[in-house]
Amino acid sequence: MSTATPQPREATGDEKKSRPKRRRSTAEQMASQQRSISVSEFFSKNRHLLGFDNPRKALLTTVKEAVDNSLDACEEAGIPPEIWVHIEGTSKERFKIGIQDNGPGIVKKQIPLIFGKLLYGSKFHRLRMSRGQQGIGISAAGMYGQLTTGKPIKIVSKTSPRKAAHYFEIQIDTKVNTPEILNNKGNGVDIPAGDEGKNYIKDHGIEWETHYPGQEGESPKPLKSGTRVTIELEGIYKRGKGSVDEYLEQTAIANPHVTIHFLDPDGNETHYFRSTDQLPPEAKEIKPHPYGVELGRLVTMLKEFKGGTLSQFLTTSFSRVSAAVARRICDQAKLSSRARTKRIGREEADTLYRAIQETKIQNPTTDCIAPIGEELLLEGLRHVLPGEFYAAATRPPSVYRGNPFQIEVALAYGGTNTAQKISYDVLERLLEESDARTLKQFLVVTFDGMGPDGAEKIIREGKFSTRQSPSKLKAKDRQRLFEAMRNVNLSEGQGMSVLRYANRVPLQFKQRDCAITQTLSGMNWRSYGLSQSRGSLPNGPVIVMVHVASVWVPFTSESKEAIAAYPEIEKELRLALQTVGRKLGMFLRRRHSIRQEGERRSIFLRYLGEVASALHAINGVDRDEIYENLLRVAKRKTAEADTKLDEKGRKLDPDTVYGENVLIVEEDQESLEKELLQRSKSRTPDPNENTTEE
Amino acid sequence: MAKRARKKKVAPIRRAADAPVKLTDKDKKTLKSIVGMGDRVVKIAGLSRAPHLDIPSRSLSNVKFNKSKRFIEMGKGTNKRELFNLSQAKSYMQTMLVASGCKQLIEQGKSTSIRGMYYLLKHTIEGTKEETFNEQSECDPVIEDVEVSLNALREELHVYASNRGSIVGNLVFDDSGDEIDCSRMGSGGYTIPSICEPDIIQFKKCEADFILHVEKDTVWRRFNEDKFWRTHNCILTHGGGQPPRGVRRLLHRMHHELELPVYCLLDNDPWGYYIYSVIKQGSINLAYESRRMAIPGAKFMGLRSKDYDRCELTPSVTIKLSDQDIKRAKQIASYPWFKDKKPWQKEIQTMLKNGFKLEVEALISKDISYVTEQYVPDRLEDRDFLD
Repeated sequence: MSTATPQPREATGDEKKSRPKRRRSTAEQMASQQRSISVSEFFSKNRHLLGFDNPRKALLTTVKEAVDNSLDACEEAGIPPEIWVHIEGTSKERFKIGIQDNGPGIVKKQIPLIFGKLLYGSKFHRLRMSRGQQGIGISAAGMYGQLTTGKPIKIVSKTSPRKAAHYFEIQIDTKVNTPEILNNKGNGVDIPAGDEGKNYIKDHGIEWETHYPGQEGESPKPLKSGTRVTIELEGIYKRGKGSVDEYLEQTAIANPHVTIHFLDPDGNETHYFRSTDQLPPEAKEIKPHPYGVELGRLVTMLKEFKGGTLSQFLTTSFSRVSAAVARRICDQAKLSSRARTKRIGREEADTLYRAIQETKIQNPTTDCIAPIGEELLLEGLRHVLPGEFYAAATRPPSVYRGNPFQIEVALAYGGTNTAQKISYDVLERLLEESDARTLKQFLVVTFDGMGPDGAEKIIREGKFSTRQSPSKLKAKDRQRLFEAMRNVNLSEGQGMSVLRYANRVPLQFKQRDCAITQTLSGMNWRSYGLSQSRGSLPNGPVIVMVHVASVWVPFTSESKEAIAAYPEIEKELRLALQTVGRKLGMFLRRRHSIRQEGERRSIFLRYLGEVASALHAINGVDRDEIYENLLRVAKRKTAEADTKLDEKGRKLDPDTVYGENVLIVEEDQESLEKELLQRSKSRTPDPNENTTEE
Repeated sequence: MAKRARKKKVAPIRRAADAPVKLTDKDKKTLKSIVGMGDRVVKIAGLSRAPHLDIPSRSLSNVKFNKSKRFIEMGKGTNKRELFNLSQAKSYMQTMLVASGCKQLIEQGKSTSIRGMYYLLKHTIEGTKEETFNEQSECDPVIEDVEVSLNALREELHVYASNRGSIVGNLVFDDSGDEIDCSRMGSGGYTIPSICEPDIIQFKKCEADFILHVEKDTVWRRFNEDKFWRTHNCILTHGGGQPPRGVRRLLHRMHHELELPVYCLLDNDPWGYYIYSVIKQGSINLAYESRRMAIPGAKFMGLRSKDYDRCELTPSVTIKLSDQDIKRAKQIASYPWFKDKKPWQKEIQTMLKNGFKLEVEALISKDISYVTEQYVPDRLEDRDFLD
């Protein structure tokens, strides 16, 4: 319309002109409104960018930031991390969150800055694999608490058993992004070591764990050092997907060297104990690789470089740039390698940038990445998730945009649910010993991986009432329950669940936007024996755990919830997933053929008796004798078919079939039943047991 | 085969139940081969090897057209039937059952129909819900398998096929000691027994000049009602579609022993052609019986493809050829025994060109007795037959 009818438009313009003119604002007036925005102000208005979009997520993000920081600190100091997570409801939708670690502690001067200033930290300026990246998280959590409850963030930190612990209550001045210390006239309190300090802690109601929880018969060991941060905030505590419980559980899977003590608002204690004392290898810090540096950054680096020549600048600021490489870059850019960096202007920087991209430079060293390792991946997954088949694969490190990264994948396949394997007698005993109030609760609590959906299905199948008490079931009802448990297909419609990790931190949100999920659903899983509709995740009782480790994990946003889809990363993901997929395919095919073999044998056995009787009638041969003879042949025949053959018909040794890093859990009826009974007896808090609901 | 066969036919030679059964030489021979079959299995199993049976193959690929004898003979090809093969385990078991059932019949001096055999052997396999035989159709081919693998005839195994087909005409014979006069059989005719071997049926007197074999009961009744056999002095038979062994054996014997020519009046469709082919050359399935059943001298009287024009039939009595008919017709045309016969190739081509088939009953549209008073007499007069 606009191009076709220019006439009327002009006419309206004339009309407007005829109106009395009013100046809306002058440049001067506008200037009075213009001022700088502090980071803290910006984020307090845009809290969703940091993961504080809603009360439930705010609670999780706070726990997550604190735990991630603690783990980073412990690992850097070489201490096997032990983390206490306490969530306490203070009033409706208000929680006090306390997180303590046994890390190295923080020196007094740094405490206010770390917790009370946004974008302050050690991790941003160096390229090193760590959980935190920007130094924004924990202070943002404090700021969120301050915004919603007005309560300051409280920090206790102790660097050595003999030195005093520092206690601070801090608020952030959001206008200028600086910490404001509230206690002891802005100086913080030093709590001396020893009894005097103990009394002070008691008198002032400061929360502080002094000892490790002791093993039975041992006196608890005192905590040498550590940091505790307490934040009170508005939030919602809810279990399930995207919860603190899930985060801690997933953290425990990917960090088998960590012990976590979790006290939830209902007073339940959950403990995840480390399965190894060995810390992951120390992540090395690397200099940036020239390919990963953008033009603006290059200009800044040039400006910051104190003196020296261009060649010196290139060789000292970047990794993988030798004098020869530096000369090649300079030649490409038609700049003198002996040019002073100060003299390099914008134009030259631009040519230099382009020259870098055009010069062939070796990939950065990749030993700066510390993967979890296939063995620990398998162990971790098995520890938490029951299954029949586990496989893991760690890819060799690779590089995207000059940043080294490494992909690790582990997969668990858990065929039938334990509920379908137990015998009627065991079910009866389980029912007797259970103190669950409803049948649904009984099913969910007793059987791993059943979930409320599965329990509902069983209850519907058996036509029980929703509030049926398990202890009041009559023998007939029990039989019906048993039948229902057998008949319901629990794995039906069950999709693949994906555990995503970036630098050992679980990613719980924005699954669809993540390169990991996209790669998973883009692959063809049908060839690995799983059903899958086009472009979505495959179906089946499968759990896949994917870990992206990098010195700089490319997230799609600051809230660190999804990994950006760089082609290099997607390729490595695909390769790793294909490795475990192939192994799963082999397992499923083999299981299928073993099942077929069993059917085969049973078919032969079914007819042998008839054949033996017929022969007896024909020539009077002894029926049992001929039956035995035929049976022997049948066994030999099917045993022959039992020997594993690969697709090309070669014989395979079962040990070498799958290659390395595969774990197959043989089903053992007896031990399974024993374990279930054991568990139902000790449902009440048991420190060695994971009692969280899934 | 017959679904409603008699359950048990009275054994040819009645004996008191407890009296020792007197075995004929034939029976002894058959028993020996059955036991031999069992012995081989026992021996193989004793050596811990997988037993199998070699069953002569009853398929087109294993039959040969013997040009000098002018009938189909079975070749030497066999199919292996293994006990330890998933798809064959059950039929192996069934074969052994049938063999044991036959042995039982012979030893007791009794015989039964194929349906009787099915009931004799049908039971639930111990420890399962599976039946040894689910249907008679599972059992029948196994009986044939046993026949060919023991090289024994069905009656030697004391098993009968169903009775089907009728006969009337100027013929007198003895059937198991009873004299049958086929000219005094009323409207229904005499049912041709399934076993027509010389020890059961002995021809006594024959005044007929030829045999007219028609396809089905309807047409046969027409001829019988019109007393065609009396006016033309012939023997009139039908086989209820594809003629069973008894009918074919009787035709064979009458043709050879009484030296009567055989004329066939069948539908003008691939099925009719095949019936003629079976009477003349023997069937593929029972190629091993051709020697006793094929009548190479039989002639095809009609209906012919040209009869639509010749008899001035209307389009309403034609039946369109189905795709399957066309396929079958081409298959028949390519059989070695039709391949070199130009008139037959022409006949089949004409039918395909017509695009329809004609049943003998179509002639009724002209007149109820057109077929007996006009069509057949004309053909006999013209001696217009296909060979």
